Amino acid sequence: MRLRQRVITLLMLSGLALAACGTGGSGQQSTTSGTKHGDTMTVAIGIDPDTLDPAAQTTTTAAQIVDMMAETLVTMDSNGKLQPLLATTWQQASDGMSWTFTLRSGVKFTDGTPFNAAAVKFNFDRLLSPTTFKSQPGVLGGKTGIDHVVAVDDTHVQFFLKSQFSPFAAALTQTNSAIISPASVNVAPNKPEVITQPVGTGPYVFKERVASDHITMTANKNYWGTKKANFDTQVYKIVPEAASREALVKSGGADVVVAPPANDIPALQNDPSVHVILGPSDRTIQIVINTQDSTQPLLQKPEVRQALNYAIDKNAIIKTVMFGAATPLSGPMANSVFGYCQTGNYNYDPNKAKSMLQAAGASGMSVKLVSPTGRYVQDIQVANAVAGYLRDVGLKVDGPGTVDWPTYVATYASVPPALAKTDLHLLGWAPAYLDASQSLQQFYSTQIPPAGLESSYYKNPQVDALIAKGNSGTDQNQRAQDYCNAAKMVWSDAPWIFLYNQKYPFVTTSKVTGVTGLPNEKFVTTWASPK
Amino acid sequence: MLTYVIRRLLVAIPTLLGVATVVFSLLRLLPGDPANLIAGPQATPESIAIIRHQLGLDLPLWQQYLAFLGRLLHGDLGISSRTGQPVLQEIAVRAPYTAELALCSLVLAVVVGIAAGVVAATRRNTGADLGISSSAVFGVSMPVYWLGLMLIVVFAVRLRVLPAAGNDEGVASLVLPTITLALFSMGLVARQTRSAMLEVLGQDFVRTARAKGAGRRSVLIRHALRNALLPIVTTIGLQFGTLLGGAVITESVFAWPGMGRLLLDSISARDYPVVQGVVLMLAVAFIAINLLTDLVYAYVDPRIRYS
Repeated sequence: MRLRQRVITLLMLSGLALAACGTGGSGQQSTTSGTKHGDTMTVAIGIDPDTLDPAAQTTTTAAQIVDMMAETLVTMDSNGKLQPLLATTWQQASDGMSWTFTLRSGVKFTDGTPFNAAAVKFNFDRLLSPTTFKSQPGVLGGKTGIDHVVAVDDTHVQFFLKSQFSPFAAALTQTNSAIISPASVNVAPNKPEVITQPVGTGPYVFKERVASDHITMTANKNYWGTKKANFDTQVYKIVPEAASREALVKSGGADVVVAPPANDIPALQNDPSVHVILGPSDRTIQIVINTQDSTQPLLQKPEVRQALNYAIDKNAIIKTVMFGAATPLSGPMANSVFGYCQTGNYNYDPNKAKSMLQAAGASGMSVKLVSPTGRYVQDIQVANAVAGYLRDVGLKVDGPGTVDWPTYVATYASVPPALAKTDLHLLGWAPAYLDASQSLQQFYSTQIPPAGLESSYYKNPQVDALIAKGNSGTDQNQRAQDYCNAAKMVWSDAPWIFLYNQKYPFVTTSKVTGVTGLPNEKFVTTWASPK
Repeated sequence: MLTYVIRRLLVAIPTLLGVATVVFSLLRLLPGDPANLIAGPQATPESIAIIRHQLGLDLPLWQQYLAFLGRLLHGDLGISSRTGQPVLQEIAVRAPYTAELALCSLVLAVVVGIAAGVVAATRRNTGADLGISSSAVFGVSMPVYWLGLMLIVVFAVRLRVLPAAGNDEGVASLVLPTITLALFSMGLVARQTRSAMLEVLGQDFVRTARAKGAGRRSVLIRHALRNALLPIVTTIGLQFGTLLGGAVITESVFAWPGMGRLLLDSISARDYPVVQGVVLMLAVAFIAINLLTDLVYAYVDPRIRYS
């Protein structure tokens, strides 16, 4: 009897102890879940942004948060078309070697300092500086990018390039070109080398960040634009597990969540309390074929590679493995990309695949297949399906093997041809600014590792010439034609098994509206409002 | 006793140096180039080279090692290659969350586990014993990932009485992750307590205590449990160490921003300085817990003396 009382007392005491544990206060954020009054919107994302420094952005998840606070000169609308933002007009010089931008006047950064050409120059100098931590100039730097920037006057900026680069304005839509206040880089905790709290001109202002937990932004009451933010506060919570994100949106703990578990998409689409949006994305998913394969030389033959394309039922994969969150590829890039044209159709025809393989002496050949796991939506599952289809046409498939992403990149995606360790590998490719110059990097032999990431090692001098011509041409129609011609050759040479264009799923509760997807896998919550 | 503690602390120094060297070497044996990973898919070889230089990875290995040791001796754990922030700061922001979750889970596990173990031992081979022993096996065997998600589905999605994830609702946010994390330790402690108690209860001095007229509760707690505590304390000490570093799954499922996730994210990004820093911190914690456990032994069992 007394023992039982003792036990109960102990349990009650420990209950009190636990309560004490909980109220210890571990950096609590006073947000309310749900958006009853339009004051706070909660968004759940899956990765912890490494940095909020515009110059160091590499992931769309982090970049879209920065976009809410710091703006670029040019922006992309939901159709992928260029629109003015901090610049009103822009002009490429007739020799193609420089661009002049007219800047919007009367705009201020949220620290009160003026937005002007000197600020723009400062930001691009910073982007190109080797002292800026993890700076990512990409195409804006290097041997073909910006040479120097001149602030002509307060509202005019001129960029001098090292080469003729026609998609320059499109490249400036990327978040690495976002403009922050030059004065703010010296205000703690910012340092000139690393920005942790970007001070920009955007509709939202940085409020707080707890690492691995959340980022809070408040509406910019003095925003220059006619559009106004409808939520006083937006909180981006980091929730690594897809299932937990789904639980959050279903229980009202978050208003918007990114990437629910793919196999739950059909059920969510039937749930009236939530709204599933399959956002556009320019990401292609493909099985990259080693076109210079010495262990399996049969893969060097285009007809063998074409046969592999006929062997895969892409529509079935999209329906049953991707749960409808993709569209089949009809060219070597997504149809939202400038320079896309329809290049052909590898319809599912296993008999044709088998006869083509037989004609090429490749019946029953052995191939090794690898795939990442969890890097792309349903990646390893899709690779398993592909392996099944290849086996159906008589191939011996070793795999799909899998390793973690960093090992995958180091072992399969960025090694030179001599060190290739697989015949086939699954990969995704998503151009940041929707221009074929980026998409076709995957078929441009100057990008064969270690110089780039062209891991099919595809080398076609005619394609190279067309791509180079398109990259430097000044007539947009001619550029599109050149890229189309290059794409047709690539399609027929089949350095990839062309699979699909992935969609980017995100889910909102039925209480908010106005969350849109951009074709480069960003989703925009900036202008959302309660329903 | 004081000399004992000091000696243990001095021995800890070469141990920590050994840990530092091992983690430094193992990281660099892993495939995957940090500069390449950080640089992203659109990077040119030039910008990758700049990043490699910024991270100090273009230096010869022995120089990197000496720089690492040199910083360590000044208490400087370096700069995260993922975020550019001091490693110590990255750890300091997350350590309180881990400590909170680990401590609460441990308290729950110890209180419920010991109580259940004692009950099971005293009601051996009855329905209560069977129930407790089966529950302990369940707790130890249940995959944490599944358990966490099941709790979320029931309590957050269906019943809506607790938050699904995050830590912005005070005690309510702590309940589900604490239960999820504690279940394993609870089962372990319960089983350990049961077998230790059974062994002690069969001994002569217990029969003597009963014979001399000591009350049932006094026999159980003051005589039996106190003597059974040694192996239980060992288990608890080990569990605390494991909880501090191994709560990755619970932290991921419940979006709890602790050290486990920091370690996982850093390994995935090949963020050498953070991985080195976190492993070193965990080594320090383990050494401290081991020392504490040994000191608790001396308190619990007066026959144990250190010199």
